[in-house]
Amino acid sequence: MEAAAAAGGVEVEEGVTRVLLVDDSPVDRRVAQLLLSSDSCAGSFHVIAVDSAKKAMEFLGLKDGKEQAIDMVLTDYCMPEMTGYDLLKAVKALNPLKPIPVVVMSSENEPQRISRCLNAGAEDFIVKPLQSKDVQRLRNCSTVRPNNVAKRKPLVLQPSAAGAALPSGRRANFAGVAMPFLSVQVLHSSSVEVSQYVPLLLKLVVMVYAVLCVGELLHRWSSGSGCSLALWCA
Amino acid sequence: MAAAALREQLNALLSSMYASGLVDDQFQQLQMLQDDGGTPGFVAEVVTLFCDDADRIISELAALLEQPVVDFDKVDAYVHQLKGSSASVGAQKVKFTCMQFRELCQHKNRDGCIMALTLVRNEFYDLRNKFQTMLQVVPYALKGPFDFQVFTGIVKMEHMLLNLKRIACPCFLLTFV
Repeated sequence: MEAAAAAGGVEVEEGVTRVLLVDDSPVDRRVAQLLLSSDSCAGSFHVIAVDSAKKAMEFLGLKDGKEQAIDMVLTDYCMPEMTGYDLLKAVKALNPLKPIPVVVMSSENEPQRISRCLNAGAEDFIVKPLQSKDVQRLRNCSTVRPNNVAKRKPLVLQPSAAGAALPSGRRANFAGVAMPFLSVQVLHSSSVEVSQYVPLLLKLVVMVYAVLCVGELLHRWSSGSGCSLALWCA
Repeated sequence: MAAAALREQLNALLSSMYASGLVDDQFQQLQMLQDDGGTPGFVAEVVTLFCDDADRIISELAALLEQPVVDFDKVDAYVHQLKGSSASVGAQKVKFTCMQFRELCQHKNRDGCIMALTLVRNEFYDLRNKFQTMLQVVPYALKGPFDFQVFTGIVKMEHMLLNLKRIACPCFLLTFV
């Protein structure tokens, strides 16, 4: 990987979705990058991150008409100068016969915004913050199939074209923060998923119990109301 | 022994952060991502990025609000960005104060925006202090087994059971009347 990088590019394995991530927020960009390149995604994604729609267009070669080397665009909606919506339209106009899938993200859950993007051809609209459960939606939008993809020549990405790009295989070094956070025992993912439903089940049990109690009380009052009144009146 | 005491301190700190609403489920999601995704240092990295970004945005907002004529569109854009990044790391209180700030921006209320900025700044500083403590304590507290997922799960379960107890107890007592 270092040799390829030194030569000016990165090779991508077959069946891996090459995602162009576009977001002006460094925090959101990093979270999305790490989410898509984590072990839980099993290496399904190779992420190239840029901080503006303009840089995304340059990377896609929308200005020079060069061949794109991207399988999917994941873009934020609200960005300065050029929004994600404008980028969406530009990407779809690039190759109408074989358009690149575009997924739009936004922190605003506005139905008008969502329908606007979907009508413009977006494959999906994800409300931020991006979470693990959104990864499957991204896989569904991708045209790359893990085991049944056509052979293509290895992709060599030019680092200079990406500008602020951060390939997912590389871990950025942040000055002053080189310490590990938590070295924890890893719970099996299925036990974590089950544990998410336990509070709901407990709530359900208590609600049922409460309903039964109220029903029992009503039954007792209705059946014993005559006797209790007699006792009070005696 | 020292590690155990520090783990206790870390537990208490995290518990208070969740209980006070300083952080929400998204923070736990990041933890799970770190644990399941094999990316050690992920949370520290994101938290540090957020703190630096939020510091920058708050400084920009202060400068904008000091201008004789305030550009509320720019102010709104910055607040929107801060709201987004705070949501991404699970900084719940900061996110909520940003939402209130945006409403004041839309009404072009300068004094209100200045007060809102003070509120956002205070909430952010509070959160940053706790994050910094966490990042300092963690490496020393981890000289022993500690499962963060189990811990946060237990904290949330405790709160849930407390609420359930409040509902269940009256019902239980009434059955014996």
